[in-house]
Amino acid sequence: MVVSDSQCSDTWTILRVRGPLELKCQLDSTDVPLMHKVISRTFGTLQSLVKSEACVLTVCDSPVIIWPNRGVHATPDEITPNTLCEDLQQWIQTDEQESTGKRSARKKSKKSSSVFTFVIQSIINLRLMMEATTTGPLPPPILTRTIKKSHFFSTTLPMDCVIRTNCNDTIKDACERLVEALSHQLCEMEKVILQHMKGMTLLVPEPLHFLLPEPKGLVTVVYPAGVPDSQLETQRRDLHQRFELLDDWPYFRRANAYHFPNEPYRDGYLRNPHLVLTHPTLDNGKVYLVQGIYSYHHYMQDHMDDNGWGCAYRSLQTICSWFEQQGYTERHVPTHKEIQQALVDVGDKQKSFVGSRQWIGSIEVQAVLNQLLEVTSKIMFVSQGSELASKGRELANHFLTEGTPVMIGGGVLAHTILGVAWSETTGQIRYLILDPHYTGAEDLQVITDKGWCGWKGPDFWDQTAYYNLCLPQRPKTI
Amino acid sequence: MCGTSFSPLFTLSFGSMGRGYIVEDAVEGYLSKLCEQQPGPVTGLLIGQSSTQRDFVIMATRTPQREESMAAAGSSVDKEWVTEHARQVSRMLPGGLSVLGVFIITDTDAKDTLTTLRQLVFAVENLISLEHLWVPADDDVTDCVTLHVNPKTRKTICRTFDVKDPKSMAKPADWKYQSGVCSSWSMMSCCLNVDMLVPLPTRAGPENMDTSLNEGLKVWAHHIQSGACLIDGKKLPEDTELTGGQKRNVRQTYTAQLLVTPDDLRSPDVVQQCGGSVSVRGVIHSRAYIHSNKPKARLAEKLLKRDVVSTVATRVQMLLEELQVSEEESNGSRKHKQQTEQFCLPRRIFCPVKVSGPVCVCDYQFSDEGQSEVTERLKEMLDIDAAEEDLDTRQETPSEIIKEDVAAEPTVETHEALEPKRNNYVGVAMATAAALLATAASMLYLNDV
Repeated sequence: MVVSDSQCSDTWTILRVRGPLELKCQLDSTDVPLMHKVISRTFGTLQSLVKSEACVLTVCDSPVIIWPNRGVHATPDEITPNTLCEDLQQWIQTDEQESTGKRSARKKSKKSSSVFTFVIQSIINLRLMMEATTTGPLPPPILTRTIKKSHFFSTTLPMDCVIRTNCNDTIKDACERLVEALSHQLCEMEKVILQHMKGMTLLVPEPLHFLLPEPKGLVTVVYPAGVPDSQLETQRRDLHQRFELLDDWPYFRRANAYHFPNEPYRDGYLRNPHLVLTHPTLDNGKVYLVQGIYSYHHYMQDHMDDNGWGCAYRSLQTICSWFEQQGYTERHVPTHKEIQQALVDVGDKQKSFVGSRQWIGSIEVQAVLNQLLEVTSKIMFVSQGSELASKGRELANHFLTEGTPVMIGGGVLAHTILGVAWSETTGQIRYLILDPHYTGAEDLQVITDKGWCGWKGPDFWDQTAYYNLCLPQRPKTI
Repeated sequence: MCGTSFSPLFTLSFGSMGRGYIVEDAVEGYLSKLCEQQPGPVTGLLIGQSSTQRDFVIMATRTPQREESMAAAGSSVDKEWVTEHARQVSRMLPGGLSVLGVFIITDTDAKDTLTTLRQLVFAVENLISLEHLWVPADDDVTDCVTLHVNPKTRKTICRTFDVKDPKSMAKPADWKYQSGVCSSWSMMSCCLNVDMLVPLPTRAGPENMDTSLNEGLKVWAHHIQSGACLIDGKKLPEDTELTGGQKRNVRQTYTAQLLVTPDDLRSPDVVQQCGGSVSVRGVIHSRAYIHSNKPKARLAEKLLKRDVVSTVATRVQMLLEELQVSEEESNGSRKHKQQTEQFCLPRRIFCPVKVSGPVCVCDYQFSDEGQSEVTERLKEMLDIDAAEEDLDTRQETPSEIIKEDVAAEPTVETHEALEPKRNNYVGVAMATAAALLATAASMLYLNDV
C-alpha cells in the first residue's frame, strides 16, 4: 500500500442504522412461483413500513428521535430537518467509563489521520424502530383465523445500513438516504432469500459492510447466512466486477467485513498499532506498508509464558492473524503447541519438540505457513545485518505486491517488519518494526511510546549477525 | 354525612407503621349503606392505585349475588365467587386502577374474619396475576389490603398482606377518608396499532389457537414493555416529575407514543409446518390514570404499557372464551378445512366513576351488543348506575370486518353464523346476555380448489 501525503480535506460522519424487522408469512403452497409471490408480497409490506410515518430512527445514547417520513420531524425541539448531521454528536452521551487507554489511542489516531485517504471521523449509531401508536379513534382489532395445513415462514431481518455524510449534510439529507438504503437493503434481502430457497429451506440474509479503496468507501453486501465463503465466489466475482476491483485480492469475504471504530475487538489483541505512528520523512522517500489488518501478538499473551523463547512464534502468529483477517483462511491463529505439532507433522522436528521451549526460525515459519495455511513464502538471506540497508527495493516491492507482514530472524532475535520508508534516490531506509518481545499489557500508548511498535534505522540490526527473512506470498484469490 | 342517616365509620388507626390508604369519601358512604342493607356478611373489592409512597382507594364494589347459592347464603363466604368477580372487575379497570384488596362487612369475630380475608386476598391475587402478561417490576407494591367493617359497631379494621410471601402475616395499615382523592389525577392515553401473526400447530383445534395466541401475545407484550415511551412527544428521563400534578382541579392529560422493535434474537426455525395462522390486526385505545402525588414519568409509562398489554390480552381472551363455548356447542360439526374466519374483538367503552372527577372504568362491547348490556354489566360488576348517555364510546369506532386480500386464488365467500353463548359475566348480566344472544359476524373463505 502506498501512502501518499495528499491530504483528505473532507471529514466524514458515518450514520449507521440498525434494527431487526420481522418477516412473517404463511406459505400456503409448495409451488415455487407462488411461494416467491407470497414472500415478495411480505417484503412489500416491510417496504411500505420503512417508508411509512411509523418508521422511527432513534439516535443511540441520546434523547434524539427522528421520524424520517413525517417531514423529518424530530425531538427534542432544537433539532430541525436542517440540523447538520455532525451536530447530532453533541446530543450523544459518551461513556466516561471507557478505558483511558482506548481514549488516548483515539486522540492519537485523529492527530495522524490526515495521511489516510479514508478516515472515519465519527460514527453515529441509530436504531430502527417503529412507532406503534397512531391517531385514533379507529375500530378495534380483527382476529383472523386461517385453517390450512401449510408452512409458516418467520424470521428477523437484521437491517444494517450505513451512509456517509459530509460536513454540509443535514438530517433531512441523511434521512432521505437512510430510508432509501433501508428500502434497497430489503430488496437485496428479498433477492438473497429467493435466490437461495431450496424446497422449504430458507436462509436468513446477513448484511455486511466492506471498506473499499477510495472513492468507493463503505459498501454493504447481503449474503445468505450460513453459506460459507467458499460457496460464494460467484457472488464475489460479480461484486469485484461491479466495483472494478482487482481480481487477486479478497475484498468481500466475511473476514473482510469492516470493523467499526466503536466496536472493540472481543479477543483483546490490538489491531494495527502502527496506525498511530508518524511516518519518518526521508528525502524523496515513500512509505510502503503492510496492507489490511493484523493483530499484535507478543510475549506472555494467552496465559503463555514464552518470555525468552517465543518471539518467532509470536511473529508467526501475527502473520497468521493477517491471513485470517484478510479472509484467506478460516483457520484461527495457531498456538505454540499447534505450531510445534505442525513442524512435527511435516517431518521437520521430532515428536519431543511438541511442548518444548525451543526456538524456531524463519525457515520453520515458512514451513508452518505452508502446512497450516497453504501459504508459500520467499526466504531472503542476509549474511550480515549491515546488508539489510540495501534491501530497500525488495522490501518495498514486497509490501506493494504482497502486503503481508514479514518475519525476520536468524542468528539473533526475531521481529516482524510491517513496512519500510525508502528513498529510491538516496537509498535511505527506515524499518517499521513490531517487536514480539513486549511483555506488558495491550496498552497502545506504552507500545508506541516505548518503541515496541516503531520506526527503526538501519542500526537497529546487529551489523555482523546473519538474518533470514520470511516473506509470505499471498494467494491470488478473491 | 349530609343528608343521610348513616353513622360514620369508625376507623382504628395504628400509627404510621404500615401502609397508608387515602380513601375516597364516597367509599365510606358506600360501605355505610351496605352496613344498613345487608343482613348477612357482605364481601366486595377495593379499587384504586398503589404507589410506593401512598395508596389510594377510589371505589368499592360489593360481590354480586350468586343466585343458586342464595339459599345457602348463611354466613359463609363464597371464595370462588369473590375471586371470579375480581377477575371480571380487573378486566374493566383501565391502566392505573387495580383491585387493591377485599372488604368484608360482618359481625363475626375479628380474628376469624382476618383468616377469611387472608384467604380471599391471596386467592384474588393468584387469579388476577394469572391473566397478567406483563412482567412485574421491582417497585410494584405487593401488599394487598383487607378491610373488616363491623355493621353493628361500625368499627373498621384495616390490615395488609404481602401476597408475594405465602407466609406473610397481617400488618396494620392506616385507612383515612378524604374527599376528591382522584379529582386531580392525570391521564395518559394513546391509540396503538396491533399487528400480530402467529402460526397454528399442525393439529389445529380451538384449544391450540389459545396456546398459540397466548404465546404470540407474550412475545408482543415483551416488545411493548421494552419499547420506548414518549410523553407529549418527548422522551423524558425516567425520574422526571410529571408537571402540573400538584395543581388542584387542573387535570392533566398526556398523549403517549410507543416505539417498538422486535427482539434481536433470531428465531431458530425459519420455516415450520403449521396448521394455519391467526392474526390480530387493528387499533386499540389505551389509557392510564396517574395519582397526583408527584408522579414520575416512569410510573406513567409503566401503567400505560400495562394497560396496552391488558386491553389486548383481555379482549383476545374474551373472544376465545366466546369461541370456545360456540365451538363446544357445535361439537365439532364444523370442520376446519382450509377456511378463513374473521372475528371482531370487542370495542372498549368508558364510563366515568361519577363520584369524584375524571377517572373512568371501562367495558368491552361485542359488535352484537347494545349499550344497555354495557350499563348492566357496570351495575352488576362495579355497582355503578350509569345511563347510556354517560358512556364514552368515542375512543374506538365500531368494529367492522374488512375483507382482506386473502389469497391470490379465487375464493368463495360464505357467511357463517357463529352462535356464541356469552358466559363470561357472572350473575344477572350473564343471564340477560345469554337471552340476548346474537350472532358474531364471521366471514368464511373457502378455497375453490
